[in-house]
Amino acid sequence: MRRALGGAAAALALAALAALPFAGGNYAIRLATIMLMYCVLAVSWSFIGGLAGYPSFATAAFFGLGAYAGAIAQTRGAPAWAAWLGAAALTALFAAGLGVTLLRLRGHYFAIASLVVAEVLREIANSATGLTGGGMGLNLPILRIGVTAQARFYYFVMLALALAAVAAHGLVARHRLGFGLRSIQQNEDAANMLGVNTTLYKTLAFTLSAVFVGAAGAVYAAWVNYIEPADVFDVLYSVKPIVMVLLGGAGSVLGPVLGAVVFLALEELVWRKFLTIHAGVLGLLIVALIYLLPGGLLTLRARRLRA
Amino acid sequence: MKTLLAVLAALLAFPFGPAADAADKVVRVGAPLPLTGPLSPEGLKQKRGYDLWADAANAAGGIRVGADRYKVELVYNDYQSNTPRAVQLAEKLITDDKVNFLFSPFGSGATKAASGVSEKYGIPTIAATASSEEVYNQGYKFLFGTFTPNPTLTEPLSSIVKAKVPAVKKVAILARNDLFPLAIAQEMDKSAKKRGFEVVFFEKYAIGTMDHASALTQIKAAQPQWIFATGYINDLVLIRKQMGDLGIAVPVVTMIAGPAYKEFVEATGKLAENVSSAAWWHPAVRYRGQDVFGTTESYNRAFEARHKAVPDYAEASASAAGAILQVAIERAGSVDPKKVRDALAGLDAMTFFGPVKFGPTGQIVSLQPPVFQIQDGRPVVIYPEAIKQAELRIGVK
Amino acid sequence: MLVLQVLANGLVLGGLYACIAVGFSLVWGVLNVINILHGSFIVLGSYVAYYAYTAWGIHPFVAVPLAGAVLFLLAYALQAGVINPVMASPVLTTLILTFGLDLLLNNAMLVLFKADYRKVNLANPLGVLDLGGIVMPLDRVAAMALALLLTGALYGVLSASRVGRAIVAVRMDREAAALMGVNVGRIYAVTFGLGAVMAGAAGSLLSVIFPISPLNGPLYLGKAFVICVLGGLGSVGGALVGGLALGVIESFSALAFGPEHALTVAFALLIVLLVVRPTGLLGRRGYE
Repeated sequence: MRRALGGAAAALALAALAALPFAGGNYAIRLATIMLMYCVLAVSWSFIGGLAGYPSFATAAFFGLGAYAGAIAQTRGAPAWAAWLGAAALTALFAAGLGVTLLRLRGHYFAIASLVVAEVLREIANSATGLTGGGMGLNLPILRIGVTAQARFYYFVMLALALAAVAAHGLVARHRLGFGLRSIQQNEDAANMLGVNTTLYKTLAFTLSAVFVGAAGAVYAAWVNYIEPADVFDVLYSVKPIVMVLLGGAGSVLGPVLGAVVFLALEELVWRKFLTIHAGVLGLLIVALIYLLPGGLLTLRARRLRA
Repeated sequence: MKTLLAVLAALLAFPFGPAADAADKVVRVGAPLPLTGPLSPEGLKQKRGYDLWADAANAAGGIRVGADRYKVELVYNDYQSNTPRAVQLAEKLITDDKVNFLFSPFGSGATKAASGVSEKYGIPTIAATASSEEVYNQGYKFLFGTFTPNPTLTEPLSSIVKAKVPAVKKVAILARNDLFPLAIAQEMDKSAKKRGFEVVFFEKYAIGTMDHASALTQIKAAQPQWIFATGYINDLVLIRKQMGDLGIAVPVVTMIAGPAYKEFVEATGKLAENVSSAAWWHPAVRYRGQDVFGTTESYNRAFEARHKAVPDYAEASASAAGAILQVAIERAGSVDPKKVRDALAGLDAMTFFGPVKFGPTGQIVSLQPPVFQIQDGRPVVIYPEAIKQAELRIGVK
Repeated sequence: MLVLQVLANGLVLGGLYACIAVGFSLVWGVLNVINILHGSFIVLGSYVAYYAYTAWGIHPFVAVPLAGAVLFLLAYALQAGVINPVMASPVLTTLILTFGLDLLLNNAMLVLFKADYRKVNLANPLGVLDLGGIVMPLDRVAAMALALLLTGALYGVLSASRVGRAIVAVRMDREAAALMGVNVGRIYAVTFGLGAVMAGAAGSLLSVIFPISPLNGPLYLGKAFVICVLGGLGSVGGALVGGLALGVIESFSALAFGPEHALTVAFALLIVLLVVRPTGLLGRRGYE
């Protein structure tokens, strides 16, 4: 009965998501697209941070890399879909290579190293003026298909990405990989001794945390038509997904999704009402989260249900 | 019975509703600005300029559109110096707040980013602070800018130095790695080489650099006679101070874009003496405009009355954007976006800001940006001839 | 000649960097907390000095104890009230917590002081020291000297005073220290406070050299990261060596690669070091 209800709820949600762009105005579609992008970022982070327990701050690096890879390809004439797939592949390769060195670190050291990768990439993007436009930014061709059609198009692309990320997460969680990652989070040395190939699993998780984010970056670049190093490598792209997962609850795929939705709603509300103090309000939210909801929103429901 | 009366009342009220609206015709102009964050000083300057125009227009009864008068309503939004937010806000202003026209966000980068949105929606947009040609090279039809292209600043500067300071053979260029500062540095590189100067140093510094000692040490070692530095006011203040620390003394020091602001002189004190610069406007110019402000002097007076300070080029450009928009609307006789857009494209008018004519890319081509120098603690115009106040002084310690 | 000047630039800068980082290194080494607030603490110290100068004419060097006191109170309260309760949580929690607190502090400063860059314009600037063609601005040299003095004072406190030795004990082995009667929670708060004092003092000294704005916070923090990894965690000597090393490296890499790459080189170095030698040039093995 539970499963049938769950299935029906999922089907309903999907139907609503598919219908949304035809019901709302352009600004609403824009917000929804951002929400879907946040879902991709949060679910992706969950692979390495939620399942494997490695506090990765590399999301911004992957996002920016994907954005520039896609943008450079598109400005040189590549069709959008090829650019986006290429960006995803490049980002995944980068993550795999980076993981070989970084995943040997733990705790704070891993966190800092992953954070700094974004800084280094940003400076490289800033300097390679011939390739990336440097500080002057990069302009992408506009899709000449009418404003509303564009808005809907990018919404559906982002929706597809989000569904892919969620599906991947669901598969991994049920698969041996997910089990292995969780054991790494519990006690990496013990897992190693028990025969879990920790290096391979961690690298896979790190790569998974990058591939969808890279694609999202490339789509983002095409959507907004103009990117600058400081925008796409912004450290907040690393921090917000973490806050979303903390908000929703780590461990399952529903947590990050819920967190992304609630976070966007809060962000939009706060931004509209508290212009000058929105950063402070985000800070307050984080502090409140850590104190009141250490397990995230999902644990709240679980507690209520059990009570 | 009660319901019937209520319905009747509603029906009777209906025809009066729209009529009440018709008496209040409004032109809404959206202005996304960096009111907080690193660019907030610039954003606030723009706001002062826009507000002054809106007040002046409304005080005169509103914009004349055919037989009607339309009030001006400015719709501000803060994008926190974050370019993607600026783009998002531009769209929100168009779709949600239903503005008729847009003023661009601050600076070349954000202007370029947001221009895609206004082009998509066909909303005429005036950029008050974007000069780099890269901003206008997309083939857009709805973007217009009040700043002339960067070479119009570097060319006169180079000509003056070539003519008046024969000691100058070598030039050193230090540029902030940002759209406008880098673009204008590249133009200076071209202008200098065209006149036979040797560019012995051309480096970029990262945004947020707090220490320029290394770059300046290298510049000192290269022994140029002319140092050209670009950035925003805080960068240039720091560079000037560190030049003093390292004992760098050369015949000519030019900085863009900070010396025009009084904050620069206040922060650098004696070090500001003889620093030269160029800008797109200066309060010393004298034009007799057909716009709501009229002459340059009356604009200056209006600004001083409101803010107890002399306007600088950023503030004046923002007011000019409004004044130009008003002239275009009045000439088009309509607030229809396409008609106003065409009026702007074909505009040939004199304003307090200077003669206004837009080129094929939408950038203004009719102005002669003044070159000035800080002498005795005040910016003094040294070019063009018509409004020259003094000669170039040589030697910066 | 050029090389010597570049070296001199780097050393003077390095002394300042050491002061920026020593508080951060202490907190990381003893509490295993990466204090994202550190950059904002430095900026707050700068503002204290700035307002003391513009309102009462107090020279920023003299305002150092005032800045230190203000920061100590703030930091002690924060650690005791907000951070101590979650000290047992995973690394990510404390990191995100200090990140959130920093957002709050930074926003508060933006609202109170505005983003405009302030500068302390000394009425009698100190001028320049000329050593046979090598030029060093005296205000920087003086700031560096004071920074080194303060760092030395911290070292003295840590090695000689009771509180200092308790801090070192907690750093070496928290459980053993607790068993020996040390109130670990209070020591955490004192350490966090001391780290903030050093940050505030650094900010006060830096106010005569760098422009002051809440926007500079992340820049200082970034430097502190690199310095700690370069020099090793938890030791005063490590921060000193790391600071000087970074100053010199930045100076020479600007010469070799161009000024815009100085930051990239520093960060690339950070990554290489983290992977190859995370303990840094001097440090003991940090927490994992």
